[in-house]
Amino acid sequence: MSKSTLKFCWVALMAVAGAETAAAARWEKGYVVAFYDPAFRFGGRADYSRGTEIEPGVDCPHGSTVHFAVPAQVAQSLSLVRWRSPKEVEELANPPATGLNRDPAGVYFHTWRAASAYRGYNKAIETYINPFAAEDPGQPQVTSRIGEGFNLDGKVKPGDFVSPEGEKGVDNQLYRAWGCDAPWRGANGNGTLVLRSNDKMVEGLYTIVIRISGNKDPLNDDDATLEIGYSPDQIVKDARGNVGMDYSYRLLHSEQYTKLKARIKDGVAETEQADIHMPQIAWFENQTRDAFFRQGKIRVVPNADGTAAGLVGGYRDFRALYTQNAFAQSGGVQGVREHEDHVALYYALRRNADGMFNAKTGRYDGISSAYRMKLVPVFVVEPDRPMGIPSRESEARRRQAFDVTAAATIKAVDTLVPQEVPSGSGELAATDGIEIGPGGVPIRGRGGKGSGRNSAIPTKR
Amino acid sequence: MKLCLLFGLVGCFVLLMAQEHPPMVPPADPGVFTVKPTGPDAFKLIVKGHVFTSRGDIEKYLAYRAARLAIEKGGQWFTLKEERGAGEGVAPKRDSEGPRYSFRMKNFRPVWRFKSNGSPEWTRWSPFTGAPFLSADPKTISDFDVSAEIVVRKGPMDDADPLAFEAWALSDLLVNQVSPPK
Repeated sequence: MSKSTLKFCWVALMAVAGAETAAAARWEKGYVVAFYDPAFRFGGRADYSRGTEIEPGVDCPHGSTVHFAVPAQVAQSLSLVRWRSPKEVEELANPPATGLNRDPAGVYFHTWRAASAYRGYNKAIETYINPFAAEDPGQPQVTSRIGEGFNLDGKVKPGDFVSPEGEKGVDNQLYRAWGCDAPWRGANGNGTLVLRSNDKMVEGLYTIVIRISGNKDPLNDDDATLEIGYSPDQIVKDARGNVGMDYSYRLLHSEQYTKLKARIKDGVAETEQADIHMPQIAWFENQTRDAFFRQGKIRVVPNADGTAAGLVGGYRDFRALYTQNAFAQSGGVQGVREHEDHVALYYALRRNADGMFNAKTGRYDGISSAYRMKLVPVFVVEPDRPMGIPSRESEARRRQAFDVTAAATIKAVDTLVPQEVPSGSGELAATDGIEIGPGGVPIRGRGGKGSGRNSAIPTKR
Repeated sequence: MKLCLLFGLVGCFVLLMAQEHPPMVPPADPGVFTVKPTGPDAFKLIVKGHVFTSRGDIEKYLAYRAARLAIEKGGQWFTLKEERGAGEGVAPKRDSEGPRYSFRMKNFRPVWRFKSNGSPEWTRWSPFTGAPFLSADPKTISDFDVSAEIVVRKGPMDDADPLAFEAWALSDLLVNQVSPPK
């Protein structure tokens, strides 16, 4: 063998060995979630309205919900309350601009939020804690067939969506049920609560990070790992106000953390199907908690600029979704301000529930869902020492208000025994100095936070 | 002292049991509620009584029994087959683009029969005729029956059907409100 041949063989051997070493090297990618919203596919035309219809489209033929937006609609909702006379309903729908507030809009706001909070079959039943005790006011639902998400049950059913890429059997009944709900619907994430929750997240309410790692080719690795969870580090913005790239974030192994097996194919990461714990969407501190996805999955699709598009899906407990949406402040405040009706949302959740079958009750406790995440590349690191999710002392009262209200609601829904508004609940808190008295009467300046216990109230009429 | 303690414990137990037990509708006397199959998954439900309380109370009891029957038969929802005679209007229209409902109580409209003023003859009242509910003094009603025909359905609910009722949702709403007539 000539010297030159030997040299060639040596170089070739080294090249192969080097390639193998590179392929076997540990690789890691980190992302911070820069935008997080329910995977509701907007099908309207932005800024277009038709009469009272807001941005009608293929998703919602009559546009976004207009609950508590116009007197006629309010009258229709309150007419379902059997203990209210037609005259009373008319007066509540068109309140005189006197008395409660000098601002006429305020009169509507407080009158409607108060009346909306008492729509049960008797005057003593607070509606948002006991939604099953009020008649269904009806909810516009998504009628189109295209939707984002995952085929969670491995089946193709008549009510399933087809993904924009053509995948059949997509389970995202949360989109079906709530996709026309005004605060969550809009072009490019401009629904009011989408904007608000993302603004709060970017301003430091909570941070979510993702770390994908493996030991093979970062573009094709069938034995990778994806971790997702809460970070105690506030999102850092760049000089333009966008979420900055390449900063470092700690990933806590907390109750809002999950490690999943993943497969990378042509750069796209997709996890196994398993329970997922990670932060849920929040716009107040008292809502910051675990979004528990059962039989969940995560997909991360890289973009050419280094960012990525994430999708997380799974079945969520309908009670967690309902309370998360209703009780950040109070059901009435949220409903009138955002033009959504939590009674309608409650019934839509239960009607479309398709997971977490409860053999004891014979009903589904979960609904399939999917959430989008815009991901910005960062470094995800371990904390110096183990730590839990920090709590904010200043928010303890509000968090407790949420917890006691949610607990009362869950008890009511599970037992069908209507519950009183618990002491300290946000449902009792004054807004602009106005509280809500029994029967849905707005009361100015009574002060205090009300009273009551988490106990049963008379159920018969 | 021991007696007080015992009474206290018994009281706590009774309170606990009252809290934990789900609401129950009292059982009906024999003959008050009857069900007759009328076809595949179709049933005619009749509620009979002698003491008229109110239209709403009695119709709600019938609706509750319809919901429970659907659940007992393994269904998730049912549709009401309206008993419309000739010239009694048309059924509410389906609006597939409008709001969706778990139930619309205003569309649960059963047909009534009653005997009043000592007469042995039945008088029929249909909610679709436009006639006022009772031509007789309610106090003179000696017998009444209210009937509805339903079809029990399985699988996801057709929530655009104005005559569709989700059985569990309706049962949840009515369970605390109804009791059988006498």
